[in-house]
Amino acid sequence: MRSKLIYIIFVVGVLMAAILITIIVAENVPNSGGAAHPEIAGLQIGGDGAARMEYIGTLGLAFHCLLLVQIILLSLLGVSERYRSNGLIAYMGGTLVFMLLVAWQMYSGHQQFLETDETGYFLGFPTATAWATYGTWIGAIPLILIYSIGFRKYIYTPEDEKKYNELLAEKTELMEQQ
Amino acid sequence: MDAFRQEIIVGAVAVYMVFCVLTGLWAMRRTHNTSDFFIAGRGLGPIVVALALFSSTLSGFGFVGGPGLVYSIGVSSFWMVVISSTGYAIGFFLVAKRIRMIAELRDCISLPDIVAARYGSQSVRFMIAVTIVLGVMGYLATQILAMAVVMQAILSGTATFANISLVTCVVISSAVLIFYCVTGGIIASVYTDVVQGAIMIVAGTLILFTAVNVFDGGMQEATSIILADDAEAVMPYGAAGMLASLGWFFVFGLGLAGQPHLITKMMMNKEMADNRTILPMSLFGYVMAALLWISIGIVMRAAVIDGVVPPLALPDDAASVFLSVFTNPLLAGVVFAGLFAAIMSTSDAFLNIGTAAIIHDIPKSIRGKSINNELFWARVVTIILAIVAASFALYSHYRDATLVAILGAFGWGTFAAGIFPVVAVGLNWKGATVAGAVTAISAALLINFVTQLAGVTFPYGVSGQLAAFVTSMVLFIGVSLVTKKPVLDSDINRMMDI
Repeated sequence: MRSKLIYIIFVVGVLMAAILITIIVAENVPNSGGAAHPEIAGLQIGGDGAARMEYIGTLGLAFHCLLLVQIILLSLLGVSERYRSNGLIAYMGGTLVFMLLVAWQMYSGHQQFLETDETGYFLGFPTATAWATYGTWIGAIPLILIYSIGFRKYIYTPEDEKKYNELLAEKTELMEQQ
Repeated sequence: MDAFRQEIIVGAVAVYMVFCVLTGLWAMRRTHNTSDFFIAGRGLGPIVVALALFSSTLSGFGFVGGPGLVYSIGVSSFWMVVISSTGYAIGFFLVAKRIRMIAELRDCISLPDIVAARYGSQSVRFMIAVTIVLGVMGYLATQILAMAVVMQAILSGTATFANISLVTCVVISSAVLIFYCVTGGIIASVYTDVVQGAIMIVAGTLILFTAVNVFDGGMQEATSIILADDAEAVMPYGAAGMLASLGWFFVFGLGLAGQPHLITKMMMNKEMADNRTILPMSLFGYVMAALLWISIGIVMRAAVIDGVVPPLALPDDAASVFLSVFTNPLLAGVVFAGLFAAIMSTSDAFLNIGTAAIIHDIPKSIRGKSINNELFWARVVTIILAIVAASFALYSHYRDATLVAILGAFGWGTFAAGIFPVVAVGLNWKGATVAGAVTAISAALLINFVTQLAGVTFPYGVSGQLAAFVTSMVLFIGVSLVTKKPVLDSDINRMMDI
């Protein structure tokens, strides 16, 4: 996987494009992208949520999941190949699972609301929306943590620093000779 | 105190503008060459870079258009904000280290310089420079127009300036912007960004507390009112729907690492290791400032539905109406200063990269060498660029209101689609080729222009920007895989091994 990462990123990208095309050509429903509020100018409404999700709900969820997978893969691409250890891959895998859980909670919470018309609240928002708002924000925090805390282990190690300084010194020497 | 509301607001904004002018004068003494002018000589500390990075991310759109979008389409607009942690993380993982290394190794002063060094191609440099100039014109015109409209709204509330014209406001606001950008270049820009960022954090935090107290039941009462009116508006994907929301996640999340005015800042830190503190600090600042975006939008939508406030003439009035109805004058003064800070911090970044593209990169890609006396011409072109953008903004406002909007919308999406694959992926993958880069940039420009100019809309809220971004990513990797593996310059090859 470590050296084939770009191929996996490419395949995920192609799958996302394919889903997007499938959604664009799927059976459309009226006002699928929202409609004007019947009474208040300037406001948009979503209207019938169940109808809007009928043909593309699962595809949308799949697109969301692939996007999260792509984010993790791209983050790994930013780590030099030799530092993509099993430990790091396991950590990134855990982060992905957490992000997927957040995506599932918001999607299933929305579906549940569409079926029951009832929702709980968390910190000011309906539960599914709270997952979207706080969960999405927090979902990438493990990436921030590993970048900051693991900077000297995965991103720019003392060995990297030495190699880079050598490269700079050679470059400077070459320029001085010229 | 309410009797002096307008005077307090005007005073706060005036103090802020004087500060910008003084910073320009101070920074002029520290600007000796083009490296100082464009990238602050790669000598900035982590706090300065962090604040400059986040304040440039949150433009006037975040303070005016953002709350207006939440007011108009509900939670859908949250997806431009809540993806910030992802966006910053991707930006740092993919870009921060490598762009800083190439910048020092090859003495680069602009993003097209970086790209030319990575690909060894003047064609790619030229295409990135042209993309930047096109995007900058739209962005800059939008920011200048927003600044002038807000200034007119503030000043016309006072007896002395009741009849002030939009043209006068464009001239005043542009003059301040031009002054500190021309005198102090990026040094003035980043140090004003520090104060601008601090003001934005304070404004965002105070506004959240104010917004939560507008309804007795807090934010939950506000969202309940919206839910009773139209549940979808306050459900996770908002009124615009699932694909529109996920499209913004893609374009604003991943796309952040393709924004030239942001990633150029990653070339400016003194120490590479500072990146590990810059990332969390930038994100913290952005989250605090963006609280304003979400809280004002939700409260204003609920207030209008509940009849507390009459319907707004325009969604973009959400922030200004909120400030005049629900905040005390001192807070309104801070937020209006914060608004100017948001607009100016983005505008100065655009002026900087646009100027670099015009005087440094386009000549270099055509003639193979820079023009003489770059610092002088940088200052001249900064003035010309700002005047052209201001004129363009006014022309669009009075003659063809769609022009600025089209180029403004064109900006972020085109940068994301055109620059992200070439820079963010290309700096981390030795197999990326010139053909892949040229194809990706061309596809991004073509799809974005066609969908914007022709007003093409897709079902389910799928945007042209999303289509362009997904296409350019696939084409960039796909074309690179099928074209001949490039031979990299020795230093670039070794740098990419690090």
